[in-house]
Amino acid sequence: MIARWLGSTDPFGPNVTVGDHPLADFGITASFADERAVLAVRGEVDPVSALVLGSLFDAVMASGYPAVLMDLPNANSIDAMGLAVIASAASRLVAQGGGLTIRFSSTGVARVFDIGWMAELISHAIQGSPVDHLAPAQVARAVAAVATRAAAPNLRTLAGISATEEAVDSALGLVVALARAAVDGADGASVTLRRLGQLVTVAASDTTISDMDTNQYATGEGPCIDASLEGRWFHAESLEEETRWPAFSPLARALGIEAILSSPLLSQGQPVGALNIYSRTPLAFATKEQELAAVFAAEASRVLTAAQAVAVDEQLTRRFQEALRTREVIAEAQGVIMARQGVTENEAFDTLRHLSQSSGASLRERAEGVVGSTQPTPDSP
Amino acid sequence: MTEPAADVLDRSRQDAGLSHDELWLRYFALGGMSSALQLEAYLYGALEPTSHDHDVIAHALNERFVELGGNHPVPYADDEPAVDS
Repeated sequence: MIARWLGSTDPFGPNVTVGDHPLADFGITASFADERAVLAVRGEVDPVSALVLGSLFDAVMASGYPAVLMDLPNANSIDAMGLAVIASAASRLVAQGGGLTIRFSSTGVARVFDIGWMAELISHAIQGSPVDHLAPAQVARAVAAVATRAAAPNLRTLAGISATEEAVDSALGLVVALARAAVDGADGASVTLRRLGQLVTVAASDTTISDMDTNQYATGEGPCIDASLEGRWFHAESLEEETRWPAFSPLARALGIEAILSSPLLSQGQPVGALNIYSRTPLAFATKEQELAAVFAAEASRVLTAAQAVAVDEQLTRRFQEALRTREVIAEAQGVIMARQGVTENEAFDTLRHLSQSSGASLRERAEGVVGSTQPTPDSP
Repeated sequence: MTEPAADVLDRSRQDAGLSHDELWLRYFALGGMSSALQLEAYLYGALEPTSHDHDVIAHALNERFVELGGNHPVPYADDEPAVDS
């Protein structure tokens, strides 16, 4: 398939890390060696982190790694969604002629995977037993990376960034790293997203690349802006010849960039940002590279769409909790009125309703007033 | 009276800009005991709510109208001794 870095030096440096899901202390460290990708998972695989894990599996597969070793050394628990993500990844890896190997340190986790058809797809090995095709140095590297991440303090939790946003940024960071590594001629990549009405760079492979994005926001023009707003891809084949972005192009060339490919990111079908791939070589991106960029953009779009669904869920949950609180207060007030006036539950409701209707206050506000009153029936009709 | 009352409720729901689910959540918050499906049946006139249920729905709608700057346009069971059809 697309495994461009096979036989070359590791394109990421030592590894790529994704994660730091503040709710569950979740993290994944990915390293790549020969034809195998190693994913070391830390923390709980819950619905939010399963999303990250799923997109990571997809990105790894899109990059041409059919064989994946997943380490679950510290995994405390896995829920149904996590299992579904892992099972789906396993079956697709098998279909590509590869497979998924999972290593556990806990027999409890192993038992979760010991389910008929799943066990056929996934070859699992309890930690300590030998694992085929994996050199000790590679295992050591993956484990060391996990240890490094575990020690890092989680400052973003304090900054109040939501778990979903955090997980999304992490997943997009991984997509950027994989896109940069997998697309021939790419010297850097970034993801632009529209947040609170403004375009921001949420992931960039280095500071030159984030400067490239910043220059576009500052001049108000450039392929990443056009792709983000118009929802279609923009390709600056050679910035020396480029006429569409006269203010931005010279700034880009001053930083050594000669070609840009911006693919739109969609959330639930709406344009929300762009995946930008930058090259120092003019005409670096041919059809093949464009197709590959589209694969990664589609991947990032899937993460964004799923995250939006999670955000809607969270909003619904909050509204439901609010409705429950209102219901409780009203029930309490009904109880007070029933005791004071010797009326039925429905009559107590009517009393509250009349109070609300005549005062213009909501029924909940009147109910709070009744519950808050300790004196006998100041509100009696 | 059943069908006109249901018509009034569902038209009010549309005027208030509430989806069935949103109305149900408000009805539930006010102590309503019927399911979302039953509520829809009341609005379509397929089931007849008790007068208490009717009033809870009416009040949920009226609170929405108050939020939108209105008064209490949706009649309660005891306000409407007879509805001519």
